[in-house]
Amino acid sequence: MAHCWGKRGETLLAALALLLSTSVASAQDSLANPHEGNPGAARAGRALFETRCAECHGADAKGISGPDLTDLWAAGRSDGGVFQTIQRGVPGSIMPSSSAPDDELWAIVSYLKGISTVSPVEFATGNADEGRQMFGANCAGCHRAGGSGGRLGPDLSRITLSRSRAGLMSSIRDPSAAMRVGYRTVTVVTAEGQRIRGLKKAEDAFSIQIVDTAERLQGYLKTDLREVQNEAQSLMPPFGPDRLTDGDLDNLLRFLASLREGGDAL
Amino acid sequence: MRVTKLVTMTALAALAGTAGLNAQEPGAGPTSAQLVEGFTDSSRWPTFSGDYSGRRHSPLTQITPENVGSLTPQWTFQSGTMARGRGFETTPLVWDGVLYVTGPNNYAWALDARTGRKFWEYRRELPDDLTYGRSAPVNRGFGMLENQLFMVTLDAHLLALDRTNGNVLWDIELADYRIGYAATMAPLVVNGKVIAGISGGEYPTKGFIDAYDPETGERDWRFYTIPSPDEPGGDTWPFTGVRERGGGGTWMTGSFDPELNLIYWGTGNPNPDYYGDDRLGDNLYTASIVALNADTGIIEWHYQFTPHDVNDWDSNHVPVQADIMWEGSPRKVVMVANRNGFFYVLDRVTGELLLGKPFTDTTWARELDDDGRPIVLNDGSQGCLPDYWGGTNFMPPSFDPVRGLFFVSARETCATFIPQKPEIEPGRNSSGGTVWVDRDQAYGALRAIDVRTGERRWQFRYPTPTMAGVMSTASGLVFAGDNEGNFMAFDAESGDNLWHYPTGWSIWGTAAITHMLDGKQHVLIPSGTNLTSFALPD
Repeated sequence: MAHCWGKRGETLLAALALLLSTSVASAQDSLANPHEGNPGAARAGRALFETRCAECHGADAKGISGPDLTDLWAAGRSDGGVFQTIQRGVPGSIMPSSSAPDDELWAIVSYLKGISTVSPVEFATGNADEGRQMFGANCAGCHRAGGSGGRLGPDLSRITLSRSRAGLMSSIRDPSAAMRVGYRTVTVVTAEGQRIRGLKKAEDAFSIQIVDTAERLQGYLKTDLREVQNEAQSLMPPFGPDRLTDGDLDNLLRFLASLREGGDAL
Repeated sequence: MRVTKLVTMTALAALAGTAGLNAQEPGAGPTSAQLVEGFTDSSRWPTFSGDYSGRRHSPLTQITPENVGSLTPQWTFQSGTMARGRGFETTPLVWDGVLYVTGPNNYAWALDARTGRKFWEYRRELPDDLTYGRSAPVNRGFGMLENQLFMVTLDAHLLALDRTNGNVLWDIELADYRIGYAATMAPLVVNGKVIAGISGGEYPTKGFIDAYDPETGERDWRFYTIPSPDEPGGDTWPFTGVRERGGGGTWMTGSFDPELNLIYWGTGNPNPDYYGDDRLGDNLYTASIVALNADTGIIEWHYQFTPHDVNDWDSNHVPVQADIMWEGSPRKVVMVANRNGFFYVLDRVTGELLLGKPFTDTTWARELDDDGRPIVLNDGSQGCLPDYWGGTNFMPPSFDPVRGLFFVSARETCATFIPQKPEIEPGRNSSGGTVWVDRDQAYGALRAIDVRTGERRWQFRYPTPTMAGVMSTASGLVFAGDNEGNFMAFDAESGDNLWHYPTGWSIWGTAAITHMLDGKQHVLIPSGTNLTSFALPD
């Protein structure tokens, strides 16, 4: 029964062998990736990830039974922190420790960082101050940035680390095109006919868990509901060029990118 | 074969004398005859499916559709060990108030069925260079005969444990784990033989089914699932070395017909899983069911569900037996709901195909030709196919002979397979490609199939695909689980959900069992690190 992902052939193994031969003994101590920027490390790390990690975290690292690993850096984790987690495992969970050589673990860190982070160059245009105002006026009701704002949508403080410029623009222009799990719109209708709209956080055959538009965590038994309506439209309105010009978007993204560099929040 | 005898034959003989191999003595374990009797004693669950038929259908009737809503937990056992990405896949055996339970990472326990408290715990020291066993560190249960328990290991050994204290009586190697072999299934004890299968079809391995002497661990016979070039079926492989590493694992427990003296066993995917260009041909007997003579291991018949499989659709399912009227005549049949999305009814005497019909919405094929081969409509070029976990999987189904209904956990999924020629090397995964699964389109369902027509009688839909199995009872109940962790009871006639209990973790790769104890019917389900027993309140 297979649930493993294929390896990438001897080229990658050769790359890994090269990595091993250039081992940096003090890597773990310094907690800096000794192979930072080495594309061979990322390729070798991908092969290792596919055979050792993908079963739980998915071939795309977006998570199956284990968590999504593509937003680690966006969530503030460091290279060294991720390395330590892989090496030590997560006590009390099914994530095991690893006795693999440091270089193999750093290679996995390189791979994950490569698929998880976006170059700041992508967000070099625009005016951050104007973007801050734009964010406060249009986004802060639902999104946090730098510690301020709403909690209904994702915290965007580090979003430019993990999402490309094109991806973010698409999400802003047409948020209904791709709604992430946990941010899908749902309306529950109670037996009394009350309609409660929010984001679906979890569901099974008998119950549903949502955060409503007032940011309240609400759990319902389906037997108490008249209906569960899964909606195709995101709670976030589309921001077409009529609402946000391309220049406004540049400013907004520049503001968000400035947060990853320690820029001023709202 | 390496045999490590941890007790001498003299000691074994003494053990036999003192521990009561005579079934009449108090505390004696099941004899071969009692295993044939199956469910005769309602306090017992003596073999993987409850009896040899593979039906997992209990005759117990205390818990009914009318009172199941009152079912309450009696106790929970915490194993303290978990298989990453997998489940607590065991089927406990029950004998005279004691549960015999295996767990992930080759733990095992004897538990008090009244309280879940431990009599003993066994833990195997495993090597740190496991191959397949590292990726799926699970175990599906014990086999039992007299005072012995039989358990396979992640380093591909077969053990006999002393039922009284968990001590190892003997330990033999099934195959070399360093190549890619492992073992996860529950041994099946038939005719005084321990039948064991092997895992590792994602590695360059060659599947087999073995029979062992329960007293000594000596091997009686071995059936390779890939024939030699000069044997029948041998021409379904290229005349190269590929057949020596062609997969065909046997990692799920089979069923047994004592009257016909035939063992029915499912076989796994050919290897490489997704890349088939170097193994052109049907690749017998992979992705098949085989009927073997229990005394000799000689094959009587076979049926291949998925010729030349390139989607990892193992056929490692519990073959479910029934004696039914078929087109006006009594017929001994064996039934399989297959990972390829089809439900099959075969004559279990001859292997003749009687029915083959999709029980899922699979686009791969919708019908079989006159020779029983699938008419493939979509090899993946016409859009997505069911994923590598298939339309169902190894989680046990059940069969209610009175209602003529087959209950199965169905998976509706959508995946894209990207084959890639793998490097073949012992100890190295050779799946041969990548699979992208569209999880947004996936869902699961408990389905009831009318076995005479293959038509769906009812279904209960889950938000996501489940890997939980099914058990049914004569009172008209079906117990099932879901990926969200609910343990549930359904009306067998209507499919109405009657009760559920959130266990807190996916019910994965196992199904419930039930037994009587002190006048009360208990229902047990493993989930996560827990084994929980339920009964009606006093």
